[in-house]
Amino acid sequence: MANDRSTNGEAADSATADRGNPDEWDRVYAKCELLPSDDHEAAILTRLRLAMFWSHLRYLMHDAQLRTALLVVLSAFFWGGLFVLFHRGFEFVVSHVGPTGETYHAQTVHFVFTLFFASLQVMLIFSAGIILYGGLYSSVETGFLLSLPVRDERLVLYRFQEALLFSSWGFFLLASPMMVAYGIVAAAPWWYFLLVPFFMVSFTYIPCALGAIGCLLLIHCLPQLRKIIVGVLAVAVIGVAYQSIWKTLDMAQKDVLDATWFSDTFERFGFTRGEWLPSTWLSNGLLEAARQSGDFEVDNPWVESAKFLFVLGSNALLLHVLVVAIGKRLFRKSFHQLNARHARKRKPAPEWPDRIANLLMAPLPRRTRLLVVKDLRLFRRDPVQWSQFLIFFGLLLLYFANVDRFRQHRADLSVVTWVNVVSFLNLAVVGLILSTFTTRFIYPLISLEGRRFWILGRLPVDRETILWGKFLFAACGSWAPSAGLVLLSDTMLDVELIVVLIHQMICLLLCVGLAGMAVGLGAMMPNFREQSPSKIAAGFGGTLNLVLSALYIMLVVLMTALPCHFYLLGKQTELNASLDGLKQMELWLVLGVTASLVLGLLVTIVPMRGGLRAFRRIEV
Amino acid sequence: MIRFENVTRTYGTRVAVDSLVLDVPRGSLLAMLGHNGAGKTTSIKMLVGLLRPSSGKLLVGPFDVVEQAREASRIIGYVPDQPFLYDKLSGREFLTFVAEMYGATPTEAREAVTREAERFQLGDFLDRLTESYSHGMRQRTVFAAAMVHQPEVLVVDEPMVGLDPQSIKLVKDLLRRYVDAGNTVLMSTHTLSIAEEIADSVAVMKSGELLFSGPVDALRENVAMTGHSLEALYLAMMDGEPSNGEPSGEWEGNAAEPLGGGPGVGGEGAHGE
Repeated sequence: MANDRSTNGEAADSATADRGNPDEWDRVYAKCELLPSDDHEAAILTRLRLAMFWSHLRYLMHDAQLRTALLVVLSAFFWGGLFVLFHRGFEFVVSHVGPTGETYHAQTVHFVFTLFFASLQVMLIFSAGIILYGGLYSSVETGFLLSLPVRDERLVLYRFQEALLFSSWGFFLLASPMMVAYGIVAAAPWWYFLLVPFFMVSFTYIPCALGAIGCLLLIHCLPQLRKIIVGVLAVAVIGVAYQSIWKTLDMAQKDVLDATWFSDTFERFGFTRGEWLPSTWLSNGLLEAARQSGDFEVDNPWVESAKFLFVLGSNALLLHVLVVAIGKRLFRKSFHQLNARHARKRKPAPEWPDRIANLLMAPLPRRTRLLVVKDLRLFRRDPVQWSQFLIFFGLLLLYFANVDRFRQHRADLSVVTWVNVVSFLNLAVVGLILSTFTTRFIYPLISLEGRRFWILGRLPVDRETILWGKFLFAACGSWAPSAGLVLLSDTMLDVELIVVLIHQMICLLLCVGLAGMAVGLGAMMPNFREQSPSKIAAGFGGTLNLVLSALYIMLVVLMTALPCHFYLLGKQTELNASLDGLKQMELWLVLGVTASLVLGLLVTIVPMRGGLRAFRRIEV
Repeated sequence: MIRFENVTRTYGTRVAVDSLVLDVPRGSLLAMLGHNGAGKTTSIKMLVGLLRPSSGKLLVGPFDVVEQAREASRIIGYVPDQPFLYDKLSGREFLTFVAEMYGATPTEAREAVTREAERFQLGDFLDRLTESYSHGMRQRTVFAAAMVHQPEVLVVDEPMVGLDPQSIKLVKDLLRRYVDAGNTVLMSTHTLSIAEEIADSVAVMKSGELLFSGPVDALRENVAMTGHSLEALYLAMMDGEPSNGEPSGEWEGNAAEPLGGGPGVGGEGAHGE
């Protein structure tokens, strides 16, 4: 073990010589010489991570079986779905563009690979940088580790490994089915499948390391940067990115999928095939590995593939060295600089949202209004809640605002069919996103009240009022943006009035039902020991709420979407449009809507009744 | 053993610690006193390397905590005001990790964990995940982690908050014995009776400035309130010392250290104090 210990005393000796260096420090220097070496430090941190991993795995297997099972099944489902999609896609390329080995086939697959990996490359840079920032600069654990004698570069590397893992799992989940599907369709030799994991790992390391270096440099330089410069730069970057994307995607609808369109598109995305891009090295390496050769002495594809793998690997290693060097030089300094900033005093929040909420809830009892306004204030002042809400609903808004392409093909019957399907799918997407919010933010509300129950429980209000207040807050708060989004989608798709009305009714049912379920189940299964809302939501009750919510959404949407779809189809095509047939479809539609109403009421009332009963008996 | 040499710490334009000059000799326990926002936690965080002084020098033993952060942290044990534990590790795993990070071999770490577990009466809980610990248990585990490498200097921020009487007694006895064995403790606390009971000297801070440092008896002489408790002395000092640094009332200034003559600075820094 003595070999594992570094000689830190030497540096200390020289640095402290000017202080007289009394003999009494001998014991202190001796202790410093026993500090672990770099490799030993790495081994200790690896053991720490392994211990936490096994402990977490035991927890998942014993205490969170539902969540674990759900995670595994959904991941497998997602992977399988992607595999089928890519397999069909590559089969389409083989049958319509050309078999493996032909120029057009190679060009098409190369185009798909480079575009796909270049996009993921950019995402990996950003996600690794953001995750590393969270781990290095705003984590309590880093503060703890900094109080231990850990080398700065080791700490950076420890956090970087975490960022690498968390940012790249999505890449593995998305890219692996595509690579396997291509290998099978192209009848790739065995070494293709052997090389795939090595390609993936060495590729992933490069953008993640770039993101990490960017994060360290940015935080280091941030205190010197003036806010106005950062703002102007950010606006410029967004402007250029927007312009580039717009220019790339802007094309006339009538030309879609003909030869000119294909050639134009190939040219437009030429920047993704740059020779200096790691995504291009990865694409080339994979395509070479999958290629068959008639004469291995003249043309050896696996050697060609290995060259690209070496390029990726050597670049990854170089960037690893750079991350360590920059971490050693800048991390502690930047950590201290970041902590030296003046804490901004928050301005008091504007009161107009409260006044509007009070106005809208005027018919309700005053105490209920007070409780709802309190929850509204907590929501507004918690950036974690409203920022996630804003990001997801903002993305949906962006998508819905651009979904009007179908309008140009209204005469086409298949397009009309798709319009109806897409409009209901959009409704389901709004519901599913809403269910994640009710699970993440509404379900834990009662559990989080545990610590505040000394005040809530002693207020001169019925406990029912507290629960109804939360229900109203959740239902009304989610209904307004959801109804707006669904209306936007319907307007852009130009669906019939009856569809708009049905959608609005279902949207209301979803908001009320999801709110009832989250509040009711949250009161039935509170967890007063846990303070973190994400951990409460990730428990058994939260997972159950998420699963039941998803089932409810699917049932309600299916029960109305199918009859509505066939009713409209029958009406528009006038195929066999006998009066009896149409009336039957109308009846089916009415039955579907009625069943949805009944289900919505059940889903709201049953959990709320259970929740009210449990909440009355709660002892904290 | 601990020396603040004209240490100043600012958050933007706000001064959290102003030209702090403080010496804590080996084998003594110094209690830092002051209202919230006085600069106690900022001083402690600078001492353990979590914050860097804006100016001045901070020495622990022979080491400069900025230039030789790793060596300095080897001889310091730190109990923060908001302790961190890995929820998914048992107490034993956590303590072993900390011991090994300080350079203990697996055998030495095992022995050290057993020693500290006995000292802090962790036996029954040692192999349970720390997420199931009560506040008192967590605090005792953090103390054990701070002591597991037998540091020369122990830095403790608000050690008694949330502890039951038995644990308070345990910690008080521990700190006293530890100092009597020739080690050094710097403790920040609001519990004045405990400071009076176990501290060799006190340092009183207000708005980032050091008002007084020295033994409690010296404080009595300065405040001219013989026979009164530390609490009475402290309150008299705080009430009598206006924020502009001018003495008034019964407060006669500090014989041990010169009073900070700069303008008083109100409010808290970015990180508590």
